[in-house]
Amino acid sequence: MSRNKISLKRMISAALAAGLALTMTVTAFADEPYTAYNYDYWDDAIPSQSAYRVEKTVTGADMGLDRLSDPSDPLYISDDAPAKLSDAKDLFYDQDNDTFWVCDSGNNRILRLDTDLKVTGCYTGFTGSTEISVGEDGKSTFLNPNGIYVKKSIFDDKLYVYIADTDNSRAVKCTVESGTEMTLVQEYTKPDTKLYDSETFNPSKILADKAENIYVVCKSVNTGSVQFNKDGEFQGFYGANRVEVTAAVIAQKLWRKIASNEQISAMTRNVPVEYANFDIDADGFIYTVTEAANTTTDAVKKLNPAGYNIWDNAVGDEYSFGDVASEYDSTTNKTYKCRLTDICVSDNGTINVLDYENGRVFQYDKLCNLLCIFGTKNSTSDQAGSFLGPNAIEARGNEVYILDGTKNDITVYTETTFGNVVHRAVLLYDEGRYSDARADWEEVIKRDGGYAMAYVGLGKACLNDGEYMKALDYFKTAYDQDDYDKAFKYAREEWLRDNFTVIMIVIIVLIALLIVKAVLKKKGIKLIKRKKKEGN
Amino acid sequence: MYEFTPVGWLKHCVFHPVEGFEDLRWKKQGSMKISMLIVLFLFIAMVVDRQLTGFQFNDSYVKVFNVVPLIVQSVVYFFTWVLGNWAICTLLDGEGTLKKICIYSAYSLVPYIVCTFIAVIFSNVLVQDESIWITAIQYLGIGWSVILMVQAMRAVHQYSFGKTLASIIGTIIAMLLILFLAILLLSLFQQVYVFGYSVYTEIMYRIRG
Repeated sequence: MSRNKISLKRMISAALAAGLALTMTVTAFADEPYTAYNYDYWDDAIPSQSAYRVEKTVTGADMGLDRLSDPSDPLYISDDAPAKLSDAKDLFYDQDNDTFWVCDSGNNRILRLDTDLKVTGCYTGFTGSTEISVGEDGKSTFLNPNGIYVKKSIFDDKLYVYIADTDNSRAVKCTVESGTEMTLVQEYTKPDTKLYDSETFNPSKILADKAENIYVVCKSVNTGSVQFNKDGEFQGFYGANRVEVTAAVIAQKLWRKIASNEQISAMTRNVPVEYANFDIDADGFIYTVTEAANTTTDAVKKLNPAGYNIWDNAVGDEYSFGDVASEYDSTTNKTYKCRLTDICVSDNGTINVLDYENGRVFQYDKLCNLLCIFGTKNSTSDQAGSFLGPNAIEARGNEVYILDGTKNDITVYTETTFGNVVHRAVLLYDEGRYSDARADWEEVIKRDGGYAMAYVGLGKACLNDGEYMKALDYFKTAYDQDDYDKAFKYAREEWLRDNFTVIMIVIIVLIALLIVKAVLKKKGIKLIKRKKKEGN
Repeated sequence: MYEFTPVGWLKHCVFHPVEGFEDLRWKKQGSMKISMLIVLFLFIAMVVDRQLTGFQFNDSYVKVFNVVPLIVQSVVYFFTWVLGNWAICTLLDGEGTLKKICIYSAYSLVPYIVCTFIAVIFSNVLVQDESIWITAIQYLGIGWSVILMVQAMRAVHQYSFGKTLASIIGTIIAMLLILFLAILLLSLFQQVYVFGYSVYTEIMYRIRG
């Protein structure tokens, strides 16, 4: 009897131990450093699945920057070339050659990296006919370059590198000669015209369109980006922001009507905020981001060639970018407001917007639907995937690269299975192939039941396939009133068609009853005699 | 003439905006029970409008349903109106009693309630392109009720038209005052309660040592 008891005890304890061991191995997994969330119809933040995970972080040492101080290496620059990044400001991905370009601003140099982020070129300056910042060896050096853009010309098929050489007050267009040599093609300096009324010319970001017009974002120039044509002539300003209409601005406008000239000259001027960064997509539309914390109107713009914003909320659309509410952090006792610092449009039209303040990336599809939010800023620990000073973002395939100017590294985010399914579905959805996207959306819902866009996608698929009642259900779940309305119209039509006979019979019977009643009343015939009336 | 049932009198008042309430007063008719029922239906109409309006027209925050604001918007506003009107018009030589004001005001709310129900039904069969019908019905209900309310106040107090309007504006101001005082009182009593409760906890600590 006692022996039986003991063996039972042993069995139970052994089973418990095995169970414990099993669960322990199952629960051992690495989580993302950020909390994934999304916004619903009411702009409430709701938890979501991680769409991206940290693949790796790459520092200067990982890039092989020690080669720059190795005399035997073809990339040798000098003995004291630093082997790490310093306050890097810009990152660019050149799709044609599959290379990355980094503006290593603090070290006054440009780095070329391959897809593994190993260094393949380093440029501290260029040769050519210029008078600015020319050294003893005849080479003109960079001084705090803040922006870079690389594009293959459609005219002569050459690769041109455009660099915003900020502290030298110029922008340059160069060709690459070797791993360390560049030759100047065109230099853009402060326009010598009255139209350009700013004192300084400090280009911070640069890009070029297909016709090789150059657009330059200059610090403290709020009339838009400065535009040059292919030959380096000043063309004008492009796509200025508007002044945000606040109560203070309206009040000042009223005061200006009654104030004297002296008073007006003493007032602060209401000027728009200059934008922080821009990107150009394959169709030639330019996307801008504005850093100012409270700019809701022009936070992200999509400019057409005339410089007008296509995503204009003033005409009744409701585009919103970044975080809806500002966020209070108790550990630092600070309130964080969104500060969108960089934008990147990937080749399939997905838009990544980088928030400097919270270190978050907001990813939108080409119709401005929020797809996912990832990344974080972490003030207390240097966890991989968290940022201190995220300066630039680039997308390459299903990877997102974020350049951190304070931690001096590049973080590579790669999409998770969830992110992959979402992207697949969105790509089909944006092409209008709703029915094809159906399977993917169903997969998305399996992984994240709160993903509102999936229900919209499924609803549209159902609407496409004529399953109106199901579509109504999906739209209701996503709280998409406009699409529900469309589906409802069809559902109503279908219902009327199906029940036409019954409805007609009911109507005819009702009319007949009314006629009979009227006739009976006219003739004074009462079918039901009321006792009360008789009593009277 | 004018031998109606209580419900018949209600119908007479609603469909005869010019003379209906005068007749009601002349015949000393009007049921308190029916008027209370109407106030109840006003509340129900509020709830139905929030909860059962067709999805494509319903802009309310559906995640939380709190009935208290709806009670305040219907029942509390109604009784504040009655009280405020009585208070103002007693000072302005009005002839209405509190009970009569209550009955007459409630009767004049009927078109609004009925039109709200009709609008809710319509919103479940119409699409956004046809929303003009719903808006029209809602405006019809409000307009009709406002006209009836003015007529009712005129009849119950035996005022001229201008004096009726002035008394209505005065009533609205009185309502605001009443609500303000009520909130003030509520918050003061809450502080008294908090004070009493802290005294109680203090004593309890002392007793326990």
